[in-house]
Order: sequence, then structure tokens, then C-alpha cells
Amino acid sequence: MMTIGSESRQRFELPARIVGGVAAVVAAASVLLSWSYDPAALDDMSFWGAPSPLQFHYLALGALAAILYLLPIALRPRNGSWTNWVAWNTAARFASFTLLGFPVIAVIAIALEAGGLINVDPGAWLALGAGVVATLAGVLLPTSPEPAMHRIKTHPVIQILAIAAGMGALLFAAVFALGLQDAGAFLLYAGFAAGLVLTLLRLGVFGWLAVCAAANKRVLVLAAFFVAFAFPFTQNGSEANMSIATQVLIFGATALGLNIVVGLVGLLDLGYIAFLGAGAFTSAVLSGSAFATINWTPPFWLTVLISGTVASLLGLLIGSPTLRVSGDYLAIVTLAFGEIFRITMNNLDGSDGPNVTNGSDGIPGIPDLNFFGFDFGATHVIFGVTIGRFANYFWLMLLILALIIVVFTNLNRSRIGRGWVAIREDELAAEAMGVNTFALKLLAFATGAFLAGVAGAVKAHHDVSVTPDQYVFLESAFLLAAVVLGGMGTVMGVLIGATILKLLPEKLRFFSDYRLLLFGLLLVFMMRFRPEGIIADERRQLEFHATDEELAEEVEEELVTYHAHYNPDPKGQK
Amino acid sequence: MEFFFQQLINGLSLGALYALIAVGYTVVYGIVQLINFAHGEIFMVGAFGAFATWVLLGSPTTWSLAAALFVLLPAMILGGVVVSVAVALLTERLAYRPLRTAPRLAPLISAIGVSVFLQEFIRLFFGYIPGMPDSKRAIPFPSVEGISGASFQIGQVTVQMPAVFTIVALVVCTLFLWFYVNRTKTGRAMIATSQDPDTARLMGINVDRVIMAAFAVGAALAAVAGVAHGLRYGNIDFRMGFLSGLKAFTAAVLGGIGNINGAVVGGLVLGVVESLATSFIPGQFGSTAWKDVWAFALLILVLVFRPQGLLGAKVVDRA
Amino acid sequence: MNKRIVKLAAVAFVATSLAFAGCGSRTESTSGSSGSTKVAKIGVIAPLSGDLSALGLGIRNSVDLAIRQANESNAIPGWTLELAAEDDQATPDVGKNAATKLASDDAVVGVVGTLNSSVAQSVIPVLQPAQIVQVSPANTSPTLTRGSDLSNPKRAYDNYFRTCTTDDVQGPVAAQYLLDAGIKKVATIHDKKSYGQGLAEAFAAAFKAGGGTVVAGETINPDDKDFNAVITKVKSAGPEVVYYGGEYPQAGPLSKQMKAAGLNVPLMGGDGIYDPTFIELAGSAANGDLATSVGAPVETLESAKSFVEAYSNAGFSDPMGAYGAQSYDAANAIIDALKVSLKDATDAKSARAATITAMADVSFDGATGKVAFDEWGDTVTRVITVYKVTDGKWGTEKTLTAE
Repeated sequence: MMTIGSESRQRFELPARIVGGVAAVVAAASVLLSWSYDPAALDDMSFWGAPSPLQFHYLALGALAAILYLLPIALRPRNGSWTNWVAWNTAARFASFTLLGFPVIAVIAIALEAGGLINVDPGAWLALGAGVVATLAGVLLPTSPEPAMHRIKTHPVIQILAIAAGMGALLFAAVFALGLQDAGAFLLYAGFAAGLVLTLLRLGVFGWLAVCAAANKRVLVLAAFFVAFAFPFTQNGSEANMSIATQVLIFGATALGLNIVVGLVGLLDLGYIAFLGAGAFTSAVLSGSAFATINWTPPFWLTVLISGTVASLLGLLIGSPTLRVSGDYLAIVTLAFGEIFRITMNNLDGSDGPNVTNGSDGIPGIPDLNFFGFDFGATHVIFGVTIGRFANYFWLMLLILALIIVVFTNLNRSRIGRGWVAIREDELAAEAMGVNTFALKLLAFATGAFLAGVAGAVKAHHDVSVTPDQYVFLESAFLLAAVVLGGMGTVMGVLIGATILKLLPEKLRFFSDYRLLLFGLLLVFMMRFRPEGIIADERRQLEFHATDEELAEEVEEELVTYHAHYNPDPKGQK
Repeated sequence: MEFFFQQLINGLSLGALYALIAVGYTVVYGIVQLINFAHGEIFMVGAFGAFATWVLLGSPTTWSLAAALFVLLPAMILGGVVVSVAVALLTERLAYRPLRTAPRLAPLISAIGVSVFLQEFIRLFFGYIPGMPDSKRAIPFPSVEGISGASFQIGQVTVQMPAVFTIVALVVCTLFLWFYVNRTKTGRAMIATSQDPDTARLMGINVDRVIMAAFAVGAALAAVAGVAHGLRYGNIDFRMGFLSGLKAFTAAVLGGIGNINGAVVGGLVLGVVESLATSFIPGQFGSTAWKDVWAFALLILVLVFRPQGLLGAKVVDRA
Repeated sequence: MNKRIVKLAAVAFVATSLAFAGCGSRTESTSGSSGSTKVAKIGVIAPLSGDLSALGLGIRNSVDLAIRQANESNAIPGWTLELAAEDDQATPDVGKNAATKLASDDAVVGVVGTLNSSVAQSVIPVLQPAQIVQVSPANTSPTLTRGSDLSNPKRAYDNYFRTCTTDDVQGPVAAQYLLDAGIKKVATIHDKKSYGQGLAEAFAAAFKAGGGTVVAGETINPDDKDFNAVITKVKSAGPEVVYYGGEYPQAGPLSKQMKAAGLNVPLMGGDGIYDPTFIELAGSAANGDLATSVGAPVETLESAKSFVEAYSNAGFSDPMGAYGAQSYDAANAIIDALKVSLKDATDAKSARAATITAMADVSFDGATGKVAFDEWGDTVTRVITVYKVTDGKWGTEKTLTAE
């Protein structure tokens, strides 16, 4: 792109605002026209004067862009006032990109789904044109200074309302996205959501929300769990989405366990799925299934504990010899261990070894859980809403996930957690400072394995059948990818990563043949361009951008304010 | 007794295959301390390159013995080497070099990505190259007159020609490698870089070029292994690199990673152990279904009791 | 420009857009135009992508063909049948999601699938509470129909049927064939998967019962490529035939490596190796190898010939694969049951239970022979054909009926 001097940008500012604002209004108005001739494409955009739900989203986006363009004309941002803490121009630019991107995806999707560009109606073309104009106007605007909305003082009530509104929006978005059956519509919505998030991020809204959240941590956590808890009520008995949601939770919980090992201690474990498998097999063998090889069925809470213990014993077994060698070896040894686990589960079938797992058939027919008469397999009606089988497991998993998050965050903040981070950043230095590196590494391994074992215990009942071929290397790689994609060492990031990696393949099934290809590319690109993940742990981010002085100062400043009681030296490493 | 010798021969030829691949891990690790997780896929790509060369030659099936041994086979090896080296250099340039100063997790994760990508790329797109078969499942490797399916007897022991080819290839490649590393300028630059990259750079050695040479040498040997694999098993598929790569890495560690002779010894030992374990471990655990488990168990044992490997390379930890 | 104008403009913009949005209406004009016919869907759960997609796509297409033919002939008056195909990627987890999706679609009345027994174990428990009939063209594990304890069989799932024979039919027929041919010493190898192991064990039991000797019993890993170790062990036992329980991706290379290692005896297997790919992978080493497959040979059966013809005329881009005929029969069995259950039904969902009941009375001549189910849900067909590779092609050797 041509670079435009700052002087000419100043001169173009007012015209660019007006042109951009008008273009945004036109784009918003385009939803009143038909976008697609074929009603089957996307979510039926073939009406005149009656926008589809996705078109309503576009309308809102257009209105937002128009406000971002036009409001500063009236407000005249001044230094020192809140108006100057909002990054109007950058946000307007990103909103414009989204205004352009949305009809681009829509046109491509309509053309692919309905068979040819002939099915694209004038509305979409109008939106596309308006999007192009808005984007040009956005590029012409001078870049805003870094947003500083977090400096805006807000009344606590408004803060809490903002958290509630944010959570509500999140729930609405999740329900809406899961309700979209059409792959093109889902992609379009994902593009819209990404564009909106980027726009708000550039505007500085997230900075402000972070302050609100930091001031009301308890409210935030409660709100988050309330939203997650309420999710099954929005599905009205539909099992398909609940099944996916439960799998996301199981996957996310396992990834969090891996996050201790990889994200906090910096040990690369490529056989982590084996711990999930160990938990699942233990739970299956003790489940009382007709195929179970042990005739003892303890209560489920005990099964969970046994499963976790078996997994963590395996973790100790593999960890104690290998944690003495350097990190690279560990990666391959754990990979080999994962293979050993899978092959062993395959071989313990009575002909090549004692019969424990029924070999490749695994253990099917695992009964549903039953807590004090509450049958997880049955459908219940609560508050007039049908709650199906997967919703029951969803709540159980939610409980376990909450537990795991508590363990994770408390460990992270404790003396142990600081020891882990010290090991990650420089093992030799940590050892010299008196950190018992071997014991701490072993503890991390065992804890991570325990959490995975617990998740596995629920997974066995949720899946009904446990077979060795569910626990292959690729699954370990997926777990690792969830951690890497979301952000090593963070809770939110890993949950987001897990959601993306589980949800997208389900929603974009037409793509399933290219899933792994993209997955490989994703790993390479993440490492190349954003190794710290979507949500960055700040210390971690610094590690990956060692030469970025500005970032180093920023992080140090925050660390000093937040953790005044101890003083890590982020400049001391490579 | 002939049963023992038969398994020994099987093990040695299998080990020779591991050794050819293991050299690639060891050379690269010795210089950049990177476990090139995608090396197994470089080996796989080499086999496909050799196959493609055979198709480009008009899919010959009826060439005479001499033509097959002295024209077809060298051409296929060359084709495989060219493809493998090209892919290895490309991945080095795009996926590893930008991460050279990053924490060590980064290049390893990137390498896993490359590995998955290469497998999927071959699976999805090899069939689109004009003249190539659909590669979503195993494809039969071309028969080379005089090697494929041929064998001779020593007493009761059957020696298969592909096994002879693998062992001969290992001997030739090792001699070539020894000469390259000890007698050429680039080779000595490699040694220098592996000992101390910073000083090597100060001495005027182009470290980038040395690293590329290491990747190229490893890839070339992996391609030879790819041809040997095709001749030995008669089939190639996009997944063949995963397990072979893992075994070869085990072999490299067994011999002492960073040590070229170690990789060769480690490969041979691993192959023999794997073969004999399936025959001489009594009871249910002697079933061939356990052979991979014994190989990996060996890896863990070595790491516990002799982390520097059999030949004891110096383990440099420059994290 | 002053503040007030901006505010006015903004308000006007929002107001007009809301007004415009309100004045249109999204009344459905398209529904109801097709009027009298109601829709019922037959689902397919099979690997449509990945390694085994060649088999999975054949299953899907064959079901598609049966549905098209039923619609053309108006087999169920007042109803149109539709296909709802879902990919299971040959993985239990993905298969379960596919089943959940189909179960929550009220129009789905039956499902054809799955290919793998391991996936079936995850799929059946989802479909059974929804009372959706499931007919598998390929699951051979006996426990799916007769429960965990085979000596004391108990029907495990009332909604589950299959058109393929189980391992305990194919194995004994192969044993009988070899004994008749005068073979006394065999070795068995299997891949430890439910199909392969079940087949090899059923074969070995029948072979011993018939007076033969099993000189070696070995196993391999399903993802193995190197069979030299196992071949060496088997070779030292000196068998006359090697019986392999498993599928062609391993059987082809195994046959090739067997002969290269000097073990020059035929390899025999079940329907999992009866595929052209086996010969492609084994090369010239395949000559003389044997396989059993369910049903009479296609060229002797009128109904089979017409299926093969219809399939090639339908313009599918993928071949029918090993389970095409069984899938076609499975779909037609469901359609047959639907003729009874949908006749007086008001909507598809309410006909689900009746469809399961109606399956018991299904009986017709399908592409694999007679299609009907016994009290366990297994096919009653006991016809097995032995095929042999001659000159690089599968040829019919002998057709047998199991007792």
C-alpha cells in the first residue's frame, strides 16, 4: 500500500470522515435490499425490506462505523478529556475493514452455495461497494494514539452492568453461532465477530472492560459461571449443540492440565493424551459395564479419584526418569510414552497380555452416571425447559472445570507457581536460587496428569465407550495446539483455543478433509507470528519478543504494580 | 539357530534403514540443537520423489537387469534426493530459521506443524500431479529388477535383496559422509559450528550456509532410506514417516545424539533389539504386537542410565 | 458542522433504518408449495473423509441410489425420502456427534452405518433412546447384536440390525474350504481389531474342530508396515496356508513380504481383503491368494447385477467399495419397513418406533441375496463365496452355505 504523509492525512481528515460515515450508512441501509436470489443460501437473505438475522448484525456494524466516523466531528476530541482516550480513527478503520469483509464472504458463500455469482442480488453488491468506499476513507484517516479508555473513571454500578452486558453478549453470540446450521453463515458470523472484537479492541473498549473486570473480579467470575450454567437452557433440549459444548469442556479441561506442564513449567509433553486415556480406561473398567474386566463398581467420586491417581502415577512413572534430561528429549520421550500407552491398551486383550481393556474393541456400554437418583442418561424438565443427557454431563464438566481453574490459578499464584515460572525461564538460575527443580517438575507432571485423569473419568461415561484409537498422537498435538493457540500459561486463552479447535471442525464439516493441513499450517504460523497465543501471558510474551524494549518496560511496570511483593527480572534472560 | 540368524539379518537390515534416517536427526541436532520433528516426513517425501521419478521415466517395468540397476535405480535415488533436499531447505528457511533466537519450544512446535502439514499435503495433493496415483492410501512402489522380491539362501537363512541394498547404501553413505565432514571445507565448517557457533561466525564461517548443508545432508540420506523402504516393503504411504522417524530418533539418542557414528550404531542396535525381542521374549509379551513398545522402552532406559548415548557424544545444553 | 445536526442525523438514521426494517415481513412463501408430500430422512454415518473414505463414500452413494430409486417409483406414497449423510472419520467421538445431530433432526427415521464396529459402539447408544433404526452394512463384531456374553446371548440394542454376516459365519466357511482342499496345517495372523481378531479366532476354532492343526497364531499392529519379524516366526512353523484376519491395507503388503521372505504359501482372508486394492498392493505375489465374501457372486444373482448396473449409471464419482451391495440392501430394508410404518403416520418422528417393529418382517431379494433379520438383528443370509486371485484378478472359486 502507498504510504500517505501525515500532513495530507490531516488535510483529508474531515472529507474522509464524511465520506466514510455516508458509506457506512449506505452499507447499513443495504440490508433492506435482497442480498441473495436463492433463499437457501446463508440464512435466507432473499427478502426485500426484511433483513435476516445476519443482515441485522451487519446493520448494527454499519451504525457503529457511522458513529465512529461522524461523532468526533461533533465532539472535537481534546487532550485530557475522555474523548481523546478513545481511538476513534483506528476503530473506524477496522470497522470499515469488517464492513468490506462481511459482504465479500457473503458474496463468495452465496456464489458457492447457490451456484454462481448470478444469485447475488443488488443489496450485497451495494454493501460491497459501500465497504470499499468506507475502507478507503478509513485508510485516509490519521492513526489515533494508543487508546486509553482504561483511564476513564466509571461508577461501580456501571462497571457491573458492563460486565453483565458483556457476558450477555457472549452468551447471545455463542447461542446464535451454534444455531447456525449453514457453514457459510457460520463463517460469515465468525468473520463478523472477529471484526467486531478487533474494532472494539482498537477503540479501547477492552482496556476499559479489563479495568471494570479487575475491580469486580468476583462478579466477573460469578457472571461467567452463570452464563455457562445457563447455556443449556437456551438450547431447549437440542442435543447436538450440547454434545459439542460438553466435548469442548472436556477438551478444555484436559488442555488446562497440559497448560500447567507446557505453559507454566515449559516442559513440552507430546503424549499428554495418554493421561486422559488412562483416566478414561480406569473409569471404564470400574464403571460396571457388561464389558468391564473388573467386577467392582465404586461410587463415582471414588472412581474419579482413582482415575486421577492412576493417571498421576503414570505421570510419575514417566516423569521420574525423564525429567532429569533436557527439554527436547522430554518431548520425544513423552511422545514415545504416548505410543507405548496406546499400543499397550491395544495389547491388553487377553491374547497378547492380560485382559484389561478388551484390546481394540475397548470397553463399550458404559452406563450413565446416577447421583442420588438423578439419572444422567435421562431427560429432565427444569423451569419448563427440556434438559437432555448431554446437558447433565455439561454441568458436571462445568463443575470439574471450575475446580481445575481454581487449582490452576491458585498454584500459579503460589510459591510453587513462581518456582515453575522460574524453571521455565532459566532452569539453571532457578536451581542456583535454591528452587528444587526436579521435585517441582515432577509435581507439575503429576498434577497435570491428575487433572487429565479426572477429565477422562467423566469422558468415559459421556462417550459410553472407550477405545484405544481415541488416544493417538494427533490428539496430543491438538491439545498442545489449543494451549499454543490460546496462549500458554493463561486460563482464558486455553479455553478459547480449545473452543476454536473443537467447534470449528464441527461447524465446518465440508472442510474436514483439509482440517489437518490447516492445523499444521496454524502451528507454523502461530510460532512465526504470534507465539504467545491469542491471549498473551505477559511474562511469556516478553520471552518471545526478547528484543522489544518497549514491551519489556510495559510489562515490568505492570509487574511492579501488580506483584510488588516480588521482583522478577525479565531482562535477565536470553 | 537359523531362526536366530534369520531374525538377526532382519534386524540388521531394519537397523540400517533406521540409521540412514537417524543421521539426519543427529547432524541437524549437532549444529542447531533442534529436534527436526519433520525429518520423518522428509524421508517420506523422498520416497514419493523416487516414485514420481519412476513415473516420469515412463513407469518402466520390463527393463533389463543392467538397465534397472544402473539407470533406473540411480535415477530414482537422485529424484528422491532432489525432492527431499528441496523440501528440507524450504522448511528450514520458512519454519525454522525465523525462530532461531526464539525459546526452544517454538521451533519444536513449528516442526510438529511442518510434519503434519507435509503428511497432509502429500495425502491431498500428490494425486493432482499429472500421472500420479491417488495417494490417500498406500501406493505400490515400483519393482526394480534384481532387487524387489529377489533373495538368496545361506543355508536355511533367506537374505532378501532389498536388505542387501539397504546395508550397502548405509555403508556407502557413511563413507561419503565421513569424507564430506572430515575432508571438505563445508564439512569442517560444520564441525566448527557445532562446537561453537559464535566463534565459528567470527572466524568467517557462514553459519546459515552450514545449517543449510546440515539439513541437505540429512535429507539426502533420508531420501536414500525412502527408496530402501519402498524396495523393502513394496509400498509407500503418506504416514510412513511418523513411526520410522520416531524410531530413527530413538536410534540417534541411543547412539548419542550429535554423533554421526553413534546414529549408525544406534540404528543397527535398535533394529536388532526390535527383531530379537519379538522372538526371544517368552510368553504373551513376545508377540510382535509389542515390538514398538520394546523399542521405545529402550529409549527410556538409555535416557535414564546413559543419557549421553552408547558412543557418548557430549550433550551440549545451550538453552 | 455543529453538534445538533450530527445528533439529529444520527437519530434520523437509526429511526429510518428501524422503520424500514419493520415494514417488510419475513413470511415464508415457499413452504407448503410442495404441499402434499412429507419428508422423511435416512441418515448415513460412515467415514466420508480420511483413510477409509473409499469405503465410506461407497456406502453413502449406495444408500443415495436406493433412496433415489424409491422416490422415482414412489415406493411410499405421500412421502419423499431424503439422504442425510454425516462423516464419522472412522472415529468414535466424531461418529457420536454425527449420531447426535441426526437424532435431533425430527425427520430422520433410520440410519445406515457405521463402517467400524468401534464407532458403532458409540453411535448405537445415541440412536437407541431416540428409537431410530440403525442398519450396518459392515459391523462384524458379534457383541453388537448378542451382547457381551456370547455363550449366553442377549439382544443388546433393539434398534440395531445388520446386512453383513458376523465373523462366526465367515471364519468356519473358510476353514471348511481349506479342509476340503486337503490343507492340514495353517498359521493365523490378525491385526487385533475386532473384525480381524474375531475372524481369525472363529476360523482357528473351526479349523481345529475339523481335524486341522493351527501351527502358529500371531498378531500384528494395525499400523505396521514391517512384517518380516512375524513372517520369520510363522515360516519356521511351516504352514501350508496363512489365514489373515484384517483388512487389505495390511494384507496386501503382508502377502508381498511373505513371498519375498520365501514363505511361498497362499494367504487367505475375509471380505476385508476382497478388494482390488489388495491385489494392487501385493502385486504379482497375490496370485493364488484367497478370500471369502458374503453373498453369491454378483454375476450369478439377478438382483446384484441390476444394482451394479444402476450404480454405474448413477454417475457417482467414487466406486461402490467393498460394502456397496450391503449398504444398498440396508437402505432398502429400512425403506421396506418405512412402507409399513409411514403409511398412517402424521410425521416422521412418530413413525420411528413402528419402523423398528416393522424391521422384523422385512424380507426381499437384495443385492447380496435374501435380506431378512433373525431375532438378534443379524442377517439370515448364510451364503459365502470363496474367491481366488488368478492373473491379477479376483475370480470366483466356490460358493458355500454355512450351516
